Amino acid sequence: MLLRAHILRLPMFLWLLALANPVLAHKASDSFMYLDTDSGQFRIDVALRDLALLVPLDTNRDGEVTGGEFRQHRGAVLNAIEAGITLSTGNSACELQGEQWGISQHSDGAYAATRYQALCDGGQAPDRLEYHLLFEHDSLHRGLIQISTGETSSLAVAGPDSRTVDLRPSGRSGLWLSFTTFLQEGVVHLLIGLDHILFLLVLVLPASLTRNQPTTSPRLWLPSRAQVIELSAVVTAFTVAHSITLALAALKIVSLPIAWVETVIAASIVVAAVNVVWPVLGRRTWPLAFGFGLIHGFGFASVLSDLTSGTANLAVALAGFNVGVELGQLALLAICFPLLTLLAQATPLYQRALVPVILLGVVGVSLMWVWERIPAV
Amino acid sequence: MTCSVKTTLRRSDIRRHPAISFPARPGRAFWLGFSLAGSLLAVPVVTAAPSSIQNDFSDNAVLATLPDVSPNLSSAPKNVDELADEVQQLIGQARKTGDPRFLGYAERLLGDWPEPDFTDRLRVLRATLAQSLHRFDLARQDLERVLQTTDQRRQRIQSRLTLANLELVQGRYVKAREHCQALADLYPGLIAASCLAQTEARTGRAESAYRRLRGQLASASNADPTSQLWAEGTLGDLAAQLGLDSAAVHWGAVLQQSPDDLYTRAQLADWQLQASNLQATLALTKGYDQVDALAVIRAIALREAGAPEAEALADSLRERFAEAQWRGTLLHQRDFARFQLDIENRPALALKHALANWETQREPLDTRLVLRAAQSAADQSALKRLQQWLAQYDQTDHRYPETP
Repeated sequence: MLLRAHILRLPMFLWLLALANPVLAHKASDSFMYLDTDSGQFRIDVALRDLALLVPLDTNRDGEVTGGEFRQHRGAVLNAIEAGITLSTGNSACELQGEQWGISQHSDGAYAATRYQALCDGGQAPDRLEYHLLFEHDSLHRGLIQISTGETSSLAVAGPDSRTVDLRPSGRSGLWLSFTTFLQEGVVHLLIGLDHILFLLVLVLPASLTRNQPTTSPRLWLPSRAQVIELSAVVTAFTVAHSITLALAALKIVSLPIAWVETVIAASIVVAAVNVVWPVLGRRTWPLAFGFGLIHGFGFASVLSDLTSGTANLAVALAGFNVGVELGQLALLAICFPLLTLLAQATPLYQRALVPVILLGVVGVSLMWVWERIPAV
Repeated sequence: MTCSVKTTLRRSDIRRHPAISFPARPGRAFWLGFSLAGSLLAVPVVTAAPSSIQNDFSDNAVLATLPDVSPNLSSAPKNVDELADEVQQLIGQARKTGDPRFLGYAERLLGDWPEPDFTDRLRVLRATLAQSLHRFDLARQDLERVLQTTDQRRQRIQSRLTLANLELVQGRYVKAREHCQALADLYPGLIAASCLAQTEARTGRAESAYRRLRGQLASASNADPTSQLWAEGTLGDLAAQLGLDSAAVHWGAVLQQSPDDLYTRAQLADWQLQASNLQATLALTKGYDQVDALAVIRAIALREAGAPEAEALADSLRERFAEAQWRGTLLHQRDFARFQLDIENRPALALKHALANWETQREPLDTRLVLRAAQSAADQSALKRLQQWLAQYDQTDHRYPETP
């Protein structure tokens, strides 16, 4: 690069001419940390290039750090890293017990990677990280930390102006986050769980048939008052019932073998379908919804427990999941029930042909599930 | 993390850029728009499991290559001149290499110096640094203060030039023109002529600006090489705006003299890519995978060429961008947006980041990107807003997509 320095008589610019320039990594300087609060495992990766500011890694000053040079400085490297981080519980620092040491790769090259077991007072999980590494050299350096608790993980960043990172599952926002996460899971589980949907369909079919009188309303799809009451009774009964057992199972007060639960769920659909035609269990649908709702709750609980292993806020997760299931249920009914009502009004074939066909199909599928799910005894 | 000064790739930044630097055009690299940090939340940050820890490396294996220049670790600068020299060297190194670490070292040094002891030169350097970090208002503040108070011609020239560039990059052409004019009075020559030509070209008079600057360069054969190179690069910019093939000739001449001029390299690579000269694009970007702007252009060219290594580069960029999002505040939005648009095929996300970038930087390639993203995402209101702005300044550019 040529400069107009001589014109301005600014010889200080000439420094630019002398520099050769290798193309360097252009990522900013970051350290990567990974903490598992359940096990107390802590890992930190620091770029060798950054570490070279703290420890004279390049012993022979040839501009390269070799494996041998790195090994030679192992003690100094560990000291430098450990001097820059403090994990603590309450007011007491945790001891870091080295478990593994070596090199790892990130997008811009080799990092010194060290894995520790954090030993904190009373065997507790660390709740605070103080990070000071490299800030005295590079104001743009950051310590990036991934905090894992059970299945969930969150990310945080330590910088020169925010050197303390709170490692506890955060207060309000954390709770809200896990609530909404589980709410979504609840909606998704209901919508992809075909057995719950079929059960619900069978339960509401009778309600779609109750409006036999021609209506005066031009909006045929709009359910009548009696239908809404019947529907509400069914949905409320199902909801209350499965909420009870979902809570009992999630809080580990009652636990049933899941294989049998799944089988009974499938059987419940068969029974409910048969009951539409031959009301052996009575014409009122809500007691049926309640009774079988109890067993469906155990089904939801098995999914929830897969999702919550290690979740600190089980109650929040439970509430979110349950609300999600209800919302999914209501959304489904809001779309399907008017459709069924409309069909019932539009053609007598609905009651005479379509409903029997639906019921037969449901019974067939459910029987197949019963057969598949029945545990080998 | 991406980021980077590198990305900065502003002519001024990298190329001829004396410490007095030619105005650093805002380093795009560092995207420090805190206001935009929130918008990052919309993109899920995906962190892959960390790579495994290896300790079976051989003693001879080269694990890392250290930079030629490192901050002086042994002693703090003793006086203001020593400090300024060191900061200047670090900023220059950041621009040459595109490595933002040098800016962090420089900022750290400046942060230790007490404010009352700041000299004009230090203020100019601090403004240059701020500009590289996209803290435009802080940069402006320091430079305007220097203009008001300094009695040193050199710092006055530097401040004018840096301010002119800053305003030009931000699309404030009236202000930019004032500074260019003041620069021409203070320090007449090809640099000031280039400055004026840029503002004219972006406000509807590209053709006359190109002709005049070409004439000025031809008749200034005894000008110093840096000024000539500066004008040559500007001619490349203007020719590209006009859609003239000579753009590649002008930029090529600059690169021949200073192959490390990352700004010009990226401009030319982009130009070749737009012309579907894939081999030329690949040749220009080869060996620059660590420079985001060049790596993204290369990834697009590789994919268009159906090259087998296309996916590997795209993957490595994905990892870099994911790390950048984890970091949160440092993201080079233009490269990220272009990657989303041309590699990931997510026009809505691309538009969001292209617009955020365009809030602070409005050079032709910024504007083109946001136009393309808005078209792909079929966002009429964004398009309308852009077109109004272009019409306001009568700005046209051959590289912009046809508007319906």
